[in-house]
Amino acid sequence: MWQGAEAVPDVAFRELRTLWFQVTGTLCNLACRHCFNSSGPRNPWLGSLDVATVVRYIGEAAARGVREFYFTGGEPFLHLDLVRMVEAALAVAPVTVLTNGTLIDDALADRLARIAGAARYSLEIRVSLDAPTAKENDAVRGRGSFAAALRAVRLLADRGLFPIVTATEILDPSPAGPLYERLRARLIESGVQRPRIKILPVLPIGRCAQGADERRLTRKDLEGFDDARLQCTETRVVAEGGIYACPILAGLPGARLSTDRLVDALSPTALYHTACYTCYETGLACKNF
Amino acid sequence: MQELLSHHRVALFGGVYSNYLALEAAIVDARRRGAEALYCLGDLGGFGPHPDRVFPLLRQAGVVCIQGNYDASVAQGAADCGCGYSDPRDTHFARISYEYTVRGTSTENRRWLDALPPVARISVGASRMLLCHGSPRQINEFLWETTTPDALIEKFCRETESDVLCFTHTGIKWQRTLASGCRAVNVGALGRPENEGTPRVWYTLVIADPDLTVEFIPVHYDFETLAREMAREGLPAEFVETVRTGWWTCCLESMPVKERARGRY
Repeated sequence: MWQGAEAVPDVAFRELRTLWFQVTGTLCNLACRHCFNSSGPRNPWLGSLDVATVVRYIGEAAARGVREFYFTGGEPFLHLDLVRMVEAALAVAPVTVLTNGTLIDDALADRLARIAGAARYSLEIRVSLDAPTAKENDAVRGRGSFAAALRAVRLLADRGLFPIVTATEILDPSPAGPLYERLRARLIESGVQRPRIKILPVLPIGRCAQGADERRLTRKDLEGFDDARLQCTETRVVAEGGIYACPILAGLPGARLSTDRLVDALSPTALYHTACYTCYETGLACKNF
Repeated sequence: MQELLSHHRVALFGGVYSNYLALEAAIVDARRRGAEALYCLGDLGGFGPHPDRVFPLLRQAGVVCIQGNYDASVAQGAADCGCGYSDPRDTHFARISYEYTVRGTSTENRRWLDALPPVARISVGASRMLLCHGSPRQINEFLWETTTPDALIEKFCRETESDVLCFTHTGIKWQRTLASGCRAVNVGALGRPENEGTPRVWYTLVIADPDLTVEFIPVHYDFETLAREMAREGLPAEFVETVRTGWWTCCLESMPVKERARGRY
């Protein structure tokens, strides 16, 4: 692949450590202004996965010694079969679900606590919040999203599921101070036991593509660089249409590595996108730790 | 194929984290229980006081050490401990601990750390054992009980031609034997209590009699003296609290939810 006068660099695949499922494609009940895959409630550009597809790839990944599974979207809890899929994955490896939290009520929190309690492996729930106040957060994520997400965090924490609050740096630096410290203080003040927080950079893609820096990686950038820091050397994503290089580029034709077997997707990845530069520069890891 | 050092009863120590008092107690206890050989799976410094005090104990007792991420970082003067933390609060405390340990480790001991091997292969009875710090593929990989799939253990055993994988790094012991006979053992840590609300620490005894048994041994030591020395050295009150109460107060964020739920914080 070529971009301008320069060959697009690629990286070799090392081994499969994480497998993601973009279960609801880009269907979401929110339409956050920084969403990297432009998810929203109307006309999703990427469709959902069915249970049989997910179960098939769980098996293929387990046979290769995968370390963990992630379920994302869109909003994964919009998928009617999500809990069944999570249970199937939890039977063989730890699982994380990335959610906006708005659909988590007492009944769903109870159900998640039951399957988590019955499993040998950990079930992590990541709830997205972008600021410690409703005013700031809802300006990014939509009206009422702060209250709903904070409620989900409390419901899960009360059941011992201690969710990881995931925030992007869309509002950081903020005049009110560093995001991590403010979020932590707010969660503690709200009675959330054991606050856990993961901060992510904003990606120049999706709704943040406009006006973003167009920097792309060159081969020279990779000279002397430890490419193990790039998550596409150890992760793959199952989404409508096949298997893709990383969670950020899922669904994009340029990042599709296989339309069928997982093993065919464990091949070198072209670092063609501006988001690849963000990963390179920030050390972004979509996984929990 | 390299011939393996062969034993019938060995003691395996996890991270020592400068806890020379627990190390001393564990060495005495392991000898009393008839251990023929003593191994330490790395991370000799960090967290505790007076980093240089563990080295003479290890050498005098003939403890065979392999290199942990902390040892590699201290030896090479790396920018950080390489523990693999990503949370800002964790990295804050890790930095305090690392800078203190680097300052307190002599040049001679750094050279000794630099020469440690990354893995050791031994046999206990008929079992081939691989000893490493984090995992066979990554010195700082966290192999927690609830995030280590059976299939990953099988893969590691297959790739390293081992029957038993022994590692530390997380600081919390566990073991699992698979239907295939392949076994994973996190040997725990001597340096810090394991977030169970008591100040005791743990090591692991592996015995071939002739079937292999893996036993976790509690170590009771003079934690109050350690706590006082840590406070005198100006180490964070959070570390001292952990030594006294047995609850982890920081560096918790890489811990999976099931393990996290068992602790106080």
